[in-house]
Amino acid sequence: MAAIEEQGAAMGRPNGSPSGGPTGGISSRLSMQTRRLLWVWGFLALPILFYTVIRFYPTLQAFYLSFTNWDLLRPAKLVGFANYIKLFKDPQFWKVFKNTFTYLIVGTPISLVLAFAIAYFLDRVRFMHNFIRALYFLPFLTTAAAMAWVWRWFYQPPPIGIINDVLGMAGIPQQPFIRSPDQALFSVMVTAIWAGLGFQIIIFMAGLRAIPSTFYEAARIDGLGEWAILRKITLPLLKPTTVFLVVFSSIGFLRIFDQVYNMTTNDPGGPLGSTKPLVLMIYQTAFNSYAMGYAAAQTVVLFVILMIVSLLQLFILREKK
Amino acid sequence: MATIELEKLVKRYGKVEAVKGIDLSIADGEFVVFVGPSGCGKSTTLRMIAGLEEISAGTLKIGPDVVNERDPKQRNIAMVFQNYAIYPHMTVRQNIGFGLYTSKLSKQEKDKRIEEAGKILGLDDFLDRRPAALSGGQRQRVAIGRAMVRDPSAFLFDEPLSNLDAQLRAQMRIEIKRLHQRLKTTTVYVTHDQVEAMTMADRIVVMKDGHILQVGTPSELYESPVDVFTARFIGSPSMNLIGGKRSNTGVEAASGGDILIGIRPHDLAANPPAQGDGIRLTGTVTAVEPLGPETLVHLDVDGTPVIATARDKSVPAVGSQLTCSAPSGSLYLFDARTEAFLGRS
Ligand SMILES: Nc1ncnc2c1ncn2[C@@H]1O[C@H](COP(=O)(O)OP(=O)(O)OP(=O)(O)O)[C@@H](O)[C@H]1O
Ligand SMILES: [Mg+2]
Repeated sequence: MAAIEEQGAAMGRPNGSPSGGPTGGISSRLSMQTRRLLWVWGFLALPILFYTVIRFYPTLQAFYLSFTNWDLLRPAKLVGFANYIKLFKDPQFWKVFKNTFTYLIVGTPISLVLAFAIAYFLDRVRFMHNFIRALYFLPFLTTAAAMAWVWRWFYQPPPIGIINDVLGMAGIPQQPFIRSPDQALFSVMVTAIWAGLGFQIIIFMAGLRAIPSTFYEAARIDGLGEWAILRKITLPLLKPTTVFLVVFSSIGFLRIFDQVYNMTTNDPGGPLGSTKPLVLMIYQTAFNSYAMGYAAAQTVVLFVILMIVSLLQLFILREKK
Repeated sequence: MATIELEKLVKRYGKVEAVKGIDLSIADGEFVVFVGPSGCGKSTTLRMIAGLEEISAGTLKIGPDVVNERDPKQRNIAMVFQNYAIYPHMTVRQNIGFGLYTSKLSKQEKDKRIEEAGKILGLDDFLDRRPAALSGGQRQRVAIGRAMVRDPSAFLFDEPLSNLDAQLRAQMRIEIKRLHQRLKTTTVYVTHDQVEAMTMADRIVVMKDGHILQVGTPSELYESPVDVFTARFIGSPSMNLIGGKRSNTGVEAASGGDILIGIRPHDLAANPPAQGDGIRLTGTVTAVEPLGPETLVHLDVDGTPVIATARDKSVPAVGSQLTCSAPSGSLYLFDARTEAFLGRS
C-alpha cells in the first residue's frame, strides 16, 4: 500500500525529491501538514520548556507562597489571605505605592516627551549624526550602579557636586537633592529618565525613519506648516511606536529598583522611605526580614498592578476603527 | 491656472549636475509629459517646479512671478506621487479634504468640493473608508482627488501609474486625460512609459542626462525625431536601425555605410509582394510574438536584430529565412557618426 503511494508521489514529481525514492522514509509517509507541524513544534519546544521552568513555574510558586507564612526556617504553612490583609493595612505599603506611581506618572511622560523631542531634531541633523546618536545611547549601555554613583556625586553639596556648583554660579541657593525627603525621589527619577533616554530615542528615530518622506512632501505641497505636519502626520503615524514605548517605559518605572538602591545605599529607599519603590520594599521584606510569604504577596500585587496598567494603556491607545 | 517657464534651470547635488540647464515654456492649460530613461532628471525637474528641491541656478516662473525662493505652499501647485502618499490614518474623505487644509472656505463649501471630487473620481462609495481597504487604482484616485479639490495653478504627476497593473494603467490614463480636458489645468506629467507619453501629452519633452533632447507634439516626435535616441524611445516596439548608404535609387542596407536607416517595425512587412520600391531585408527568424491581429517577427539580419510585422495569419517558422520590406517614405535616415536625424526617405 505504502509502496503504491510512493510510486504515485514519484510519478507526480518526475524529478524526484530527496524525501521520495524507493526506500521511502518516515517523512515521506507523513502528510505535508503533519510534517510542518512537527517542524514548528520542534523549534518551539526548547523556548517553551525554558519558559515553563524558568518563568511560569516560579510565578505560580510565588502565587502559592503568597498564601503561606514561609520564612526560610520553618516549613511553609498556608495562612489564607493574611499576608494581603497585612499588606493593605501597612502604611509603609501605601507610601511605597504612592512613590511607585509618582515614578510612573511623572517619569513616563517626561521621558517620552524628552526622547521624542531629541529624536525629532536629531533626525534632521546630518552633522555627526551617528556619533551624537551613540552618545545618547551610551547611558543605556552603562551599568546602573556606575551611573548611579556618578549621579550621586553630581548631587553632592558644593564644591564636590557639579550641579550645586552651577546653581551657585547662577546665584541660586544650594539644594540638598538626594538628602532631602522632598527632592530625593525626583533626583532619582532624573537619573532613571536619563538612563532610559537613549533606548527611547533610538526607537523613536526608527519610527520616524519608517515614515515615507513623500508623506511630508505631500503635506508641504498642501501648505501645512511644521507644527501642523507634526500634529497631523508625524504623531498619528508614530502611534504604534509611542504605544510600545509608553508600555515599555511604564513597566520600567513600575519596576524601578537599581537606580534607587544604588543612589541611596546608606539607607536604601531613604531618606525616610521617600524614594522607596515597591520592588525595593519586596527586596527588603524578602532578604532583610526573610518574610518570604509576605514578600510573595507584595510581588503578586506588583504583578497585578503591572498587568492592569499595561492593559489599560493598550486599551486607551488602541487603534480606533 | 498658469504658465510655467523654465529658464536655464540647473540642479546640482554636490558636484553632480542632475539637471544641466533646461529651457522650457509650458502654456496655460497645456499637458506636458516628461519622458526619458531612468536617472535623466525628470523627477528632479518636477520637484524643482514643486518647490521640494532647491533650484541651483536659473529661474522658474509660474504665471508672471519668479518663484525660485517660494515655499511649495506659496506656489499653489498640486502634486501626485508614485506611491500615492495618502495617509493611512485618515479616511478617504479626510485625505481628499487634506488638500483644503489651508483653504479659507467654509466647512460646507469644503464638504461640497470633497463630495464633488469623490463623484468625479468614482469614489462616492468609499469616502468613509481607510486607504488600507482600497485597491491600488482607488488609492491613486484619492491622491488625484486631494490634488483636484485645491483648484491649483498646476498639476504635477510623478509616475503616478507605475505601481498599477497594465489594465488599470490604461483606464487611469484615460481618466487623467479626461480630468484634464474638464479642468484645463496646466499639467506636467513624468513617466518613462512612452505609451503614456504618446496618448496623453499635448507636448512631449524627451530628456537624457539632464538635458532636453527634443520638445514636440507626439506626432512631431514620431515623424521627425531629432536623433536616434528619441527615435528609438518613441514608438513601441523600438525602431529598427541598420547600417546603410545612399544609392542612386535612394538608400540601401550596407555595413560600414555613413548613414543609419531607421525602420519602424510597424512599417517593415514580412512576406512582401515581389516588387516595390523602398528597402528589402532578408534574415533568419529568431523568435515570433503573435499579438492577435498581427505577429511580431524577430529577425537576425547579418548580425543586426530587426523586428518586422507579419499581417497575414501565417506565422513564419523560427529558423526559416524571411524577406521583408518597408516602402519608401517610411524610412528615417540618421548620420552614422553623430546619430542626428537627416530626413525621411
Ligand atoms: N539626493 C540626491 N543626491 C545626489 N544625486 C541625486 C539625488 N537625487 C537624485 N540624484 C541624481 O540625479 C539624477 C536624476 O535623478 P531623477 O530622480 O530626477 O531621475 P528620474 O529621471 O526621475 O529617473 P527615474 O525614471 O528612475 O525616476 C540621477 O542621476 C540621480 O542619481
Ligand atoms: Mg523619477
